[in-house]
Amino acid sequence: MKSPRARLIIGLALVATAMLVAGEAFAQAKNPFNVGITEGGGAGTGVVGWIIAQQIAFERGLSAAVRAVRSDGGAAWYLAGLSFVYGVFHAAGPGHGKAVVASYMLANERALRRGLVISFLAAILQGVVAIAIVGGLAFLLHATAQRMRDAAALVELASFAGIATLGAWLVWRKGRAFLAAWNAPPASLSAAAVGAVASRFACEAVDADESHIHDENCGHFHMPDPRTLGDRFSWREAALTVVAAGSRPCSGAIIVLVFALAQGLFWAGVASTFAMALGTAITTGALASLAVFAKSAALRVTGGTSRRGELVARGLELAAAFLVMFLGVALCLGYQAAGL
Amino acid sequence: MRKSLLALALAAAFVAPPMVAPALAHPHVWVSVKAEAVLGEDGKITAIRHHWTFDDMYSAFVTANLGKDGQPPTSEELQPVAQTNVDSLKEFEYFTFSKQAGKKVAFGDPRDFSMTYNAKDQVATLHFTLPLARPAETKKVFSFAVYDPSYFVAFEFEKGPSVSLEGGPKGCSISVTKPHALDEKEQQKLNQAMTDNFSPGEDFALRLADRAFVACP
Repeated sequence: MKSPRARLIIGLALVATAMLVAGEAFAQAKNPFNVGITEGGGAGTGVVGWIIAQQIAFERGLSAAVRAVRSDGGAAWYLAGLSFVYGVFHAAGPGHGKAVVASYMLANERALRRGLVISFLAAILQGVVAIAIVGGLAFLLHATAQRMRDAAALVELASFAGIATLGAWLVWRKGRAFLAAWNAPPASLSAAAVGAVASRFACEAVDADESHIHDENCGHFHMPDPRTLGDRFSWREAALTVVAAGSRPCSGAIIVLVFALAQGLFWAGVASTFAMALGTAITTGALASLAVFAKSAALRVTGGTSRRGELVARGLELAAAFLVMFLGVALCLGYQAAGL
Repeated sequence: MRKSLLALALAAAFVAPPMVAPALAHPHVWVSVKAEAVLGEDGKITAIRHHWTFDDMYSAFVTANLGKDGQPPTSEELQPVAQTNVDSLKEFEYFTFSKQAGKKVAFGDPRDFSMTYNAKDQVATLHFTLPLARPAETKKVFSFAVYDPSYFVAFEFEKGPSVSLEGGPKGCSISVTKPHALDEKEQQKLNQAMTDNFSPGEDFALRLADRAFVACP
């Protein structure tokens, strides 16, 4: 039988090959009428069709709302509300960092609140980047659409690279955690440790050592050192997730900002962008919560503290880490293949 | 083991949707299309002349900072934009999909391209002439549709008289037909494509698009 390490290496090689192949599939030339951001499409029916129809209605309404603000400042509230709802629906579309945030949550986070904060910050960053591009280039430097396109495309490429980096980092850490769990000694009945404390389990032969865990049969195994599992929250990682998921602005915000600027109402565009970001945060946050719930449900089903449960949990995290890396690499490769 | 599989399936079910999402884009740009079918003296169709008017928001984007001193941009100032547009449209087959007797009609490189700006409505219009690679007889029905398979751009023939003929023998006509409603089988195919991700096939988007038909006696 092959050693677990050899299997892991073979698995890694397979995944790497799959990523290279998929990179080609992601390759997609930018639409001639793009605003610098890669966005594909597809018409829909059913629920999806309905969501798309809502977005269309809201996006079409935005320009009228901006115009209304010019004659009546009170219409700004209407514009903000419309932008907010548009953001909620629109974030269901591509981009907007949902895949990144959800996969990161699956790979890493167990705390729901942190997931929501990360989603919120990513959405706000998205708005800020759009405002920086349009405000800095079009407003201050009087740049043309082509310049804005170039800038947006550059930011987009950087964010793809950020996703790949985050993924690689997660794979490294989660791969080590998985190996540690794999190599952990199997269940045995040998007693351990001193200083018995109340245990959650029926068998009371327990300890203050949290790594010493009993399964239903009073067998136990030693959890790998938490430090090698990287379970502790890392600000650096969370920040990288926010940047990777949020640095790519959405075309909708760019277009509204430029339109507002053309109407001499840049501030209305800024307000609309932030309202949109708030809406986006809700959709992304909902997805992040879903990821956390899915993970805890999966762990409950498999019996979280058994050796098997531990392996499933680590395997799941590693898979999610691969997903992030896969997404980032494929996006970068697709970007290059499209010659943009 | 069965439990582990269940857990994986659970996890996959939650991770898959965002991965599939790229297929669910919606249009960001709206174009209302006016077109003329150009007929030669011999009665053959030689080109399609397009006039694409963009929605007000996208118009503001493409014309940003092009006009001098707050003036609306002139055609000269917009010429580079028109150039970039027709250049990049090539890869997308000019979003113009033409058929005669069930066969695809090929186009050559566009000519006479320009962009104009309507300051009153604040909208920009791209004009270009798309020559047929080989002029087409009009004895068989000739048709064309304008659409973006990726649905980033929503094309629609303008309301009112949106298509016309230029030149050609008497008795020729051009008209726009709305797509027929999908039957049950087609609807199923489309739904399947939505759940499987990716496009239901190019001919499918085509079937949902408006089509202009040229017919001569």
